[in-house]
Amino acid sequence: MSDGEPARPIQLLGSILVAVAIVAITIALVTAKIGPDVYTRERAEELQDQIEERQELLEERRESREELLEERNENN
Amino acid sequence: MDDLIQDLTRGNVTEVKVVLASIVAVLAVYQVLLMAVGYGKLRLPFLKPKAASFAHRSIGDTIALITLLVAFMCWGYFEFSDGIEHALPGEEGRVLLHVIAGTALVGVLIFKIIVVRWWRSLGRFLPFLGLTVLGLFMLTWFSSAADYLWGG
Repeated sequence: MSDGEPARPIQLLGSILVAVAIVAITIALVTAKIGPDVYTRERAEELQDQIEERQELLEERRESREELLEERNENN
Repeated sequence: MDDLIQDLTRGNVTEVKVVLASIVAVLAVYQVLLMAVGYGKLRLPFLKPKAASFAHRSIGDTIALITLLVAFMCWGYFEFSDGIEHALPGEEGRVLLHVIAGTALVGVLIFKIIVVRWWRSLGRFLPFLGLTVLGLFMLTWFSSAADYLWGG
């Protein structure tokens, strides 16, 4: 296995640094593929639900206002 | 046990497993390249065999720890029978393969470490054991993490 030469510290360090780089790249690629974590996803869904509720409320108010205006016009 | 693993991973058990498993799978390939240099099969001007062998040992210890951590998360959270029982329709084969490959991986990896550190008379089988470990890493990863990342 070994050729009798002493291990060169700088080569050993370089090999380990390459491993660290591999780990960093793997983490970046995999997490980019996975996407946001479960809490972020749940929060995004909650916000979306709130936006939809608000839009429904605004729609209802607009309809009520229109009905009120129609009634006033009819009375006049 | 479930709660502990959920707390450790902040609810992202599968995602953390996928990241860690991917790391060790890629490092396993790197490990084989290092030992190809260590055994003199691959000659590089900037890396001598002894340095490559030392690096292989150091990185291997880290890989072993991460692998055991992932195995703990898998066995503790998904369990053997539960994982297969609750697999989606059509997924039972893949899950069974993952359970078998993952368990075999831990066993072979531990045996390899024992041979390296204490049972040196079996040292001539190390290349075979190393390639077996690599194959089992790939099988375990493909049957779970790869399916999660690209299978939908």
